[in-house]
Amino acid sequence: MEFRPILSALLRNKFAPLLVAMQVAISLAVMANALHIVSLRYAAATRPSGIADEQNVFTIRVQPLKPPSFAELMAQQQRDKDVLRALPGVISVASANQFPMSQSGWNSSVAASRNQTQPTGTAGRYNTADSLVKTMGLQLVEGRDFTPADVEEVDFDAADSKNDKVIITKALAEALYPDASSVVGRPMFFGIDADAQETHIIGVVQGLQTPGAANGIKGEYSTIEPIRSASPSGAYVVRAEPGQLERVTRDAEAALRKARSYPVLMKSNSFEEYRAIRYRDDRTLAWMLVAVSALLLLITASGIVGMTSLWISQRRKQIGVRRALGARRIDILRYFVTENLVITSGGVVAGMVLAMALNQILVSQLELTRLPLGYPAGGGILLWFLGVLAVLGPARRASRITPATATRAA
Amino acid sequence: MFQYYFMLGLRSLRRNPVLTGLMVLTLAVGVAAAISTLTILHMMSGNPIPEKSNRLLVPLIDNGPLSRYTPGEMPEDNQLSYRDAVNFLQSGQGVRRTAVFGIVGGIEPGRSDLGTLQVDGLATTSDYFPMFQVPFLHGNAWAAEQDKATANVVVLSRRMSEKVFGKENPVGRHVRMLNEDFEVIGVLGEWNPVPRYTHLINGNGGTMGGKDDIFIPFQTAIRLHLNNSGSMTCNGDVTPGYQGILDSECTWIQFWFEMKSAADRVRLQDYLDGYTREQHRFSRFVRQNVNRLFDVMQWMDHLHVVSEDGPISTWLAFGFLLLCLVNTVGLLLAKFSVRAGEVGVRRALGASRAEVFKQFLIEAAVVGLAGGILGLAFSSAALWLLGRQSERYAALAHMDWSMLAATFVLAIAASVLAGLLPTWRACQVTPAMQLKSQ
Amino acid sequence: MLHMKNLSKVYRTHMIETHALRGFDIHVKEGEFVTVTGPSGSGKTTFLNIAGLLEEFNGGEYLLDGVNVHGLDDNARSKLRNEKLGFIFQGFNLIPDLNLFDNVDVPLRYRGFPAAERKRRIEQALTQVGLASRMRHYPAELSGGQQQRVAIARALAGSPRLLLADEPTGNLDTHMARGVMELLEEINAAGTTILMVTHDPELATRAQRNVHIIDGQVSDLVRKMPTLFAHDANAAAAAGNPA
Repeated sequence: MEFRPILSALLRNKFAPLLVAMQVAISLAVMANALHIVSLRYAAATRPSGIADEQNVFTIRVQPLKPPSFAELMAQQQRDKDVLRALPGVISVASANQFPMSQSGWNSSVAASRNQTQPTGTAGRYNTADSLVKTMGLQLVEGRDFTPADVEEVDFDAADSKNDKVIITKALAEALYPDASSVVGRPMFFGIDADAQETHIIGVVQGLQTPGAANGIKGEYSTIEPIRSASPSGAYVVRAEPGQLERVTRDAEAALRKARSYPVLMKSNSFEEYRAIRYRDDRTLAWMLVAVSALLLLITASGIVGMTSLWISQRRKQIGVRRALGARRIDILRYFVTENLVITSGGVVAGMVLAMALNQILVSQLELTRLPLGYPAGGGILLWFLGVLAVLGPARRASRITPATATRAA
Repeated sequence: MFQYYFMLGLRSLRRNPVLTGLMVLTLAVGVAAAISTLTILHMMSGNPIPEKSNRLLVPLIDNGPLSRYTPGEMPEDNQLSYRDAVNFLQSGQGVRRTAVFGIVGGIEPGRSDLGTLQVDGLATTSDYFPMFQVPFLHGNAWAAEQDKATANVVVLSRRMSEKVFGKENPVGRHVRMLNEDFEVIGVLGEWNPVPRYTHLINGNGGTMGGKDDIFIPFQTAIRLHLNNSGSMTCNGDVTPGYQGILDSECTWIQFWFEMKSAADRVRLQDYLDGYTREQHRFSRFVRQNVNRLFDVMQWMDHLHVVSEDGPISTWLAFGFLLLCLVNTVGLLLAKFSVRAGEVGVRRALGASRAEVFKQFLIEAAVVGLAGGILGLAFSSAALWLLGRQSERYAALAHMDWSMLAATFVLAIAASVLAGLLPTWRACQVTPAMQLKSQ
Repeated sequence: MLHMKNLSKVYRTHMIETHALRGFDIHVKEGEFVTVTGPSGSGKTTFLNIAGLLEEFNGGEYLLDGVNVHGLDDNARSKLRNEKLGFIFQGFNLIPDLNLFDNVDVPLRYRGFPAAERKRRIEQALTQVGLASRMRHYPAELSGGQQQRVAIARALAGSPRLLLADEPTGNLDTHMARGVMELLEEINAAGTTILMVTHDPELATRAQRNVHIIDGQVSDLVRKMPTLFAHDANAAAAAGNPA
């Protein structure tokens, strides 16, 4: 391989190769960061909500236009659950006040001790009269689930809850008691200071995201209490047989409407929908970035094709001379592919540096993490291949220049 | 000469269609990417009410408990309690005052084809409409007396009015909603500010998306015990029940003062400080935190209205434009280098270097113009596509005149910048050498 | 060394057929210095291109150093060119971005010689043309005559059997031209066969033999002419004037 003469020739005539190298560098820098962001968003959007087999679970909210008495609401709730459980295809039903990723719900600050100056964090505060563990498929890692005996009926408009039992998520357990091997039986407070409500932990689940499903650890702090209530709407989470979600949802809506004499507002959602809505903006951004990356590659490739064609046409005579001096077609092809590799390599190296620099800027301005080396490296390899592919066309045309050009062309 | 060079530029575009096409396309794509993302950012961070934005003020006071308080820190919530909202409404400060909270409920149009509809809306006071210059299609807002009387009156959005009443003017008609009979007294015209700065904290669409379809008097909503659709933050003891919330220190209401001029801000600050001192004497405001005021732009900044996605996309889009620029430099080099003969001839015929420079730079600008036109088409397509993605983008993805102009300025500036090097190279041609080698 | 018999070359463009060479015969023996003359458009360049395996021909036979070149594929011709021929062009055709060393190196790389061998040959060739001291310089730094000498070094470095020269002095002033011609004569004296195309009738007389081409064919007419010129050249030399 004649690297040295190629390199020295390039250094003498810097403009065109420099332009190509710059394009490779910029492409690499932008693409590496763009794809990094895409992977971050993708990772966030595929975090488990805690619900097992999400595709089989849906929710229904029922809101009467004119709420009946609390007692009537409670009785209706029980009738609702009986009706739902009787439907074919329904595996399990639970009442709940809110759902993960649904983006509306009740948060409360929590602490391990009443005397803390600052709360340990803010948790999504779930209520259920049944078993979220069973219906949502939450994974119990310590302690126990609620029993029907634990459930307390509370009319929040009339009185506060006296409940003292709570199930929490593992992330919250580790935040409350970082050094403890077991948290079952330990106290937990909603709020701090004298007004804080004291409960104790009876169980820990692996995960249950908050309704907001914020990025980072904040989205993983949740509590569950065994409370039957309706405030003012009833809401149920239902697990259906695999593959029957749509039908069961429709049947459930119809059945609940029929079970009432008064008109209601009803809204059902699958968890697929919740997830899609929660991460819609992330997905849009991700697609935009992927589109930009693809365009980057396309434009760089076209730039390589253009520039290589240009300086091949400028060196027609020279190519003819080389052929006259004994170069075969493949030698000419190899020359230009090698030249391209040298230029692309320069661009890749510069691009990797540029990628880290751009990443630094983004990290300081926005909430971005550092760029793992795999991205610029992988991007570099991709651009190498792209470069060779792009140069093949013009290089092949160059190799077809006849040796007679040496004597003929002006 | 400019016209001559412009015409030369146009003609040369046609001479090498492949090269020209590639150049214009590359430039157009780069400009489109940059302008699309810039438009979104522009809409996200634009001033929705520039005429007044510095004299519309949001008060932020701190009614939190002493426990877990670090002096000077931001209050936990950005809203007011009911008690403070009512006090401020009655304070007489500024030329107008309004309190806002979101509501959701059912409307029964009484038509068999519609059934019951769920609607989102606002509970607010009569001052809201003139304060934010909300346009009316039919009728008008309620009067201050109707606020006090907790009248059952409603202003509908145009969309809701057409849904329930069709195309006719519904002012004076009645509709059953929130379990009571309401009289329609007004229908809004186009009212969809983005961001939704009048109540950024809401339960129907967040800062960018979502629409409000019904507007009812603040006290009417209270009388109907309507819950806040949005967020509520409670500290300390709260007696169960709706009245308990009204009596508590839970914050859930957003408030605006309209001052006569921006200078009156100082006066309002004094009022706030006096108010909180007084409340402290009644043992209400134990923290004695700093009282803050925000005008429209400061408020949006405080609530982080511009999400991270905007700047990210814009950074990367401009990186992309840079690539297209470098690419264009190369293509222009190619385009101009084959014209060495022409340059030699022109110089021999008397053109100075400056004239040749002008000619080729204008030629580059012509490429930029073509790129700008195509780029505009691409941007519009990209924005349309983005608008279909989510409600939030649908409100943002609209090009206004300033962005339109920016497209052309950017395209021409980019191509002229890209053309500088190739043009300079073209001018270096010595006439003699070029003429001889023909 | 070089034998062409009844060679023909036709150019076809759109609707026009041009017979560049027809019924062309030429025989060059090893060690000869032959010039080829003719008016412009006579087919000199075509002949040279075919002789140099730069172009293919349509009819007839061509043997180069015993090898029949008909039917050889492009790779074989390139190899043959590389090993057996050396080229000298009117416009020198040095590669401007490479220094003298690398310029002379080009055909040797395609030959496949190892680095040490290449270095030896390059240094030897440049010494032979008197430019070894400027090995690292670039063509733009040299005069026309020096550039042509480098081109000659490049042609010689591979120890070719036949040197093909296309108007080698066409772009040089009288003084430089003389230097180049002397160099060529030296090389011929050392045993390399030289075939030179030229416009200049004076140069034609310095050669041992001249072939005159008119309209694509070797012309008998002018075979008699060399005696006339040779007489004049001898007379001029006797008078002490430069030829």
